[in-house]
Parts: sequence; C-alpha cells; structure tokens
Amino acid sequence: MTTLIRANLPVLVVIAPLFVAFILPPLARRIRLVEALALLGAVLGLGGAGYLASIVLTQQENPFIYQLGGWPAPWGIELVAGSLGVFFLLVVGVSVPVLLFAQGNLAAEVGGAERVTRFYVLYLLLVGAMAGMAVTNDMFNVYVLVEVATLSCCGLVSARRYPRAAEAAFTYLILATLGSALVLGGIGLIYLITGHLNMGFAAQELSRVWLARPHVVLMAVSLIVVGFGVKAALFPLHVWLPDAHSTAPSPASAILSGLAVKGYLICLVKFLYGVFGPTLLQEFAVHRILTLLGGVGIITGSILALTQEELKRRLAYSTVAQVGYLILGFGLLNVTGLAGALFYLASHAVIKATLFLAAGAMLAATGKRNVRDLAGVGRKMPITMAAFTIGSLGLIGLPLFSGFIGKWYLLLGSWEAGLILPAVAILAGSVLCAAYLLPVIRAAYFAPAPEEDWPDPGRPQKLALLLLAAAVVILGVRPGPFLELAQKAAAELLAFY
Amino acid sequence: MSGLLTKVLINYPYLVAVLLFTIGTFTVLTHPNLFKKLLGINIMESAIFLMFVASGNIRGGVAPIRGTTNAEAVYINPLPSALMLTGIVVSVSVTAFALALIMRLYKAYGTTDLRRIAARRKEVISDDHLDQG
Amino acid sequence: MRDFILKRAASLILPFIFVYGIYVILHGAVSPGGSFAGGIIVGLSFIAFSTIYGIEQGRAKLPEKVLVWTESYGTLWYGLMGLVGLVRGVPFLANKLAGVDLGTPGTLSSGGLIPLIGLGVGIRVASTIVTLFFTIMEEER
Repeated sequence: MTTLIRANLPVLVVIAPLFVAFILPPLARRIRLVEALALLGAVLGLGGAGYLASIVLTQQENPFIYQLGGWPAPWGIELVAGSLGVFFLLVVGVSVPVLLFAQGNLAAEVGGAERVTRFYVLYLLLVGAMAGMAVTNDMFNVYVLVEVATLSCCGLVSARRYPRAAEAAFTYLILATLGSALVLGGIGLIYLITGHLNMGFAAQELSRVWLARPHVVLMAVSLIVVGFGVKAALFPLHVWLPDAHSTAPSPASAILSGLAVKGYLICLVKFLYGVFGPTLLQEFAVHRILTLLGGVGIITGSILALTQEELKRRLAYSTVAQVGYLILGFGLLNVTGLAGALFYLASHAVIKATLFLAAGAMLAATGKRNVRDLAGVGRKMPITMAAFTIGSLGLIGLPLFSGFIGKWYLLLGSWEAGLILPAVAILAGSVLCAAYLLPVIRAAYFAPAPEEDWPDPGRPQKLALLLLAAAVVILGVRPGPFLELAQKAAAELLAFY
Repeated sequence: MSGLLTKVLINYPYLVAVLLFTIGTFTVLTHPNLFKKLLGINIMESAIFLMFVASGNIRGGVAPIRGTTNAEAVYINPLPSALMLTGIVVSVSVTAFALALIMRLYKAYGTTDLRRIAARRKEVISDDHLDQG
Repeated sequence: MRDFILKRAASLILPFIFVYGIYVILHGAVSPGGSFAGGIIVGLSFIAFSTIYGIEQGRAKLPEKVLVWTESYGTLWYGLMGLVGLVRGVPFLANKLAGVDLGTPGTLSSGGLIPLIGLGVGIRVASTIVTLFFTIMEEER
C-alpha cells in the first residue's frame, strides 16, 4: 500500500481533493459529515504534498516524473513534481486552515446545507485544480485546469445570494474567460510552430525554431502574459479583483486572494521560464515589461488600497499591489530575484489568508464593513485582532515576519540586476502598506471600545487564525526548507541562462 | 505581391480566426449589455477553436480511422480537434454559468444593461446592505 | 386522455432512444459519438418523457435525489476506473498496461476500460441535462 501511494504521489495529490469533492453532493443533509470529509480532502492533499516534498528534497527523485496512463512524454500527459511543483503544492496547503475556518460559520454567510455543500465542492475543485497546476507539464492540461479553477472561483464569488456578488462574479467570469481564451490562443500558436504540447519538448523545439518565426513567438508570449495577467490581476488588468474578492464569503476571499491568484502566477512562471526560456524573454524585453508593470502595480495598488474605506476592499486592492511584487520578481531574471518572488508568493498566500479570515471574523461579529467603525475591536476580539496584527506586520515586511525575507531577496535581486527603480518601488510599497494597514490596528487597539458585545469567533475559527499567524512567524524566523525549495526552483528555472 | 496573395489564400482560416477574435474581443469590452458580452466571449472562443482545428487540417487528408481508407491516404492530425472538443465543453459550461448569473442579475435589477445596473445599484443595496440568505 | 397518439408513440419510441443513447456511449471508442453525445441522447429521452407525460411523471421517474447521486457519482466512477491501473501497479488511468484484454480492433472490447469510463461520463451528462431541464421548467411556474 505504501509503495503504491509513493509511486503514484503526483497524481494522488491532485485527485484526492477531486474525489472527495464528488463524494459530497448526495450527503448534503448530513452537514457535519460533509464538513469533516471536506477537511479530510484538503488534509489528504497537504499530506501528500508533504510526503512528495520529502521525497524531492532528499533527492530520492528530483524531479519526480509521472506518466498518466503509462504513455511516455511527447504523447501522453506528464506530471512533473520538481522543486517548483512541490513548492506550490505546499503553498496549496493554505487551503486547510481556511477550510477549518469555514466550518461552522459558513451557513450564516451562504445559506442552507445544500448551498454550504456546494461551496465545499467548489472549494475542493479549486484546490484540486491548483494542485494540478503545480505538477502538470502539459500545456493543454494547464488550460483545462485553469478553466476548472476559474469556474469554481466564480462559483465561490457568487456563493452569497446578493446581487452585488452576482455582478462581481459575472465581471470576473467574463474577464477570466477572456484571459483563458488568450492563453489558449497562445498555446495554439506554440503548438502550431513546435508540434508539441509537452512543455519540455515544446521548449526544446522552440529554442530551435523561434529565430525562423519570431513574430509568431512574440505573439504567443504576449497572448500568454496578457491572458495570465488578466487572471492573476496584473496591474492594469486588475479591474475585476476588488469587487470579486470583497463580495465573496470570507473563506472564499481568503482562498481567492491567497491561493487562486497564485496558481495562475505559477502557470505564468512555467510558461515564461519552462517554455519560452530566459534568453527569449530577454530578446523580446518581456522581463523589462514585467518589472515595469510590477513596479507600477505595487505603487498604484497600494495607493488605491489607501483610499478604500471598506476593510475587505482595502485588502483586495492590497492583493493587486502584492501581485506587483511577484511580477516584478519574475522579471528580474536572476536566481535571487526569482527565489524572492517565489518565497514572497508563499508568504503572501499565508498572510492574505490570515488577513481576510480575520477581517471576515470581525465582519461576522460586528456587522461593520468600514475601517472607521471597527474602533476598539482589538480589545473585544483579542485573538482575531492579534492574528490580523501579525498578518499586517508580515505584509509590511518587518524582520522576523515572512514578508521580510521575500522582500529582502527581491531587493537583493534588483540590486544584482543593477536596477534602482524596482528597489525604490519595493520600499515605497512597504511604506504605503504600513500606511493602509497600521491605522486599522491603531484604531482597533487605542480607540475607545463601544458598548456592544463583540465576541471572538468559535473554536475552529480561532484555531485556523492561530495556525495561519503561526505560519507567518515561522516562515519569517525559520524559512529553512521553504526558502531552500524556492531557491532550488529558481535555480532550476534559470538553469540554461 | 502575388506571393502575399497566395499566402493569404492558403492561410485564410487563420485570417478568419483573427477577424472573429477581434470582433469577439471588441464586443466583450465595449458592449454594456450582458448578453452581448457573453456572445462576444463565445465568438472569441470560436475563433480560437477555428485556429486550432485549422492547424490540424491537411488539404485532401482523411479522418485517421484505421481500416476505412486506402493505405496511401494522408491522415489529418486529429489531436487539435480532440482538444477543441474539450474546449467546446468548457465554453458551454462557461456560457451556462454566465446565463445563470445574468438571470440572477435580471431578477435583482430588472435589466441586463450594465449602465442601468450601475445606476440602480444604490437603491438595491440600500435595502439589503448586509446580504440576505 | 389528451395527446393519446403522442403518448402511445412515445411509449414505443422512447425506450429505443434510451437504449440507443447507451449504445452510443459504449461505442464511443470505435465509432463516432461517445459519452457526451450518448449522454445527451439518454437525457433527451427523459426530457421527452417529461414534456409528453408531464413534469410530475418525469420527476416520479427520476427524483431529485437520484439525479444528485448520478450526477456526482458518475464523475466519481471515472476516477474509480482510473484507479484500476493504480491497483494493478501501473500509472493512473492506464488501460492496456493494467492488463485489460483489448481484443480485436473495431469491436466493443477493443476500447478496454474506455466504454466503462464513458458510461460514467454519459450518466453524468444525462443527469446534468435532465437537472437543467427540470430546474428551468420549475422556475417558469
């Protein structure tokens, strides 16, 4: 049994959540069972990811290549769990505490048992699709997984029966489908000139033929960058994100901001470095465009966040800014910068989940959306606010919190690349981040508390918040294997450069 | 000039795809009506499907089914068509989901026009500022 | 006794439509069609039944509970068929490698596990179509 599991790990981490998702719907009447099973699905995924990581990290097998159906690479679909794949699989583990948080208070947000079950089904489909994106090495498979993720994201956004949510979900659906159509177009062009859908083979062929057809390759690069850019809320293409992420139920906001956006970014990294390769990017100056968009995104996103009154909207705009950091790191084209971006991706996944969940707990307890009305909440809801504070400090990038390490490596990376402006944008982003998050904390702790009774959330919610906050601190104090994985992944991606 | 013309004539499926794609994208981005946006998405996806399917086609080729054709026939590449079958299913599910959302929006606002929805948002929001289950 | 002819004709034709749908599903590997097309045909036989005999009769044939079960477990069946390979010690979704006898090309058995996988997908497609139909019809009233 154990050998069976070990031999099939890359596919098991993907199908475990999907299997559980399809067991759930007929059990809608027994909501406790549904909750337990959903949690089991996410935990199985994380457990598999941990096991896989231990295999890859100890170099027993790196990368762990798996051929679906036993068909070898150019013909069949290949799953590759290299450093990058394993790294993102571990990040997908954020879904476990978020799911824990969802238990119990979800019914209040989305309605009856059937709707809660549907929420869990969509959630697990999203987790499965994200795990698939981490390991797949086939371009069309990426497209299918991206669509699965998009549809489940839209379902999660529209989970609340409230017209604003349907509107946000519609905008998201239309723009995300636009994005995936662009991606599919890009994949089509690559397939046209290389004849391969497997990323490794396509990359090999591309390095040979791109000189003969530079225009087609340029078109493919731009379609894919813009396509994933729309889905990942790259700065000028972010218009759907604030509405979608702030109207969704809180666990959904946490998973959308924390994880879903990152899945598309990982796909983008796979395409940029795994298919096109750094040389080609440099030839078309794609890396400069990415750095520029990232830098502008950091500043604009942060300023927009500063102007928002509603806490969840402020956090959503902050996601736009943080995506800017990642894109900026992808464009630096050196191992330090890329490793920093990848580590920042993991740290932001944890931090944004913490912040959205804490904001959701506050919203559920107080019914107040705006930052101004949340004065004094720190003394009424100590654990929630403590988690929020730790998350905020992490996002600002204070030493000893996980955000710091990512930002530090990004700074070093831009230094290595000889660029001053990205470094300025990174630092300015931190300052602006402090400017939009610290007032929340100050009001929460130092303003007089109102008379009302605002209790901390229930036990699973508290546990989830504490787990996530602990992860923020642990990643900051001992980044150890995570940082190592990020560096290894970055080195592998830039190996031929 | 004649070289360009031959190129155009040979590659006309791709030109049609580009044209459809442009029409679709333009409709999605500029039309305020939700249905028109959805139609635009569908046109755009059809353009991509056309491009894929055209890439697998060989003029004079036959369907690659064993035993039904003579040995020297040229097979077309079935892979892009198979992929686009998946693409079509995905696009159908997106369309279905979007239609469901449009129905919900129509029930809430009484219109499918984005500008009118924006105008009516305030009145609708004011009577359920927190969501009702 | 309204629509007497329609009802008699339907009771003669619909079983054959249903069986034809199953046939198309199972022969997806060796002939045009497949689980999506076949699933739609199966679903249409139920939809035709419900339009001719009334929604209540259709609901009695396929209660919502059954639809929910078939919808999700049809998909699960696909996954379980994938596990056959896993249990035999070969990769997920393996077909011939899993020791399934593929028989002579062109016959039903030459698909190996494909007809069985298709059955799951077909059931899922059929129940989805029927669910959509019921939802829309009941919404209108």
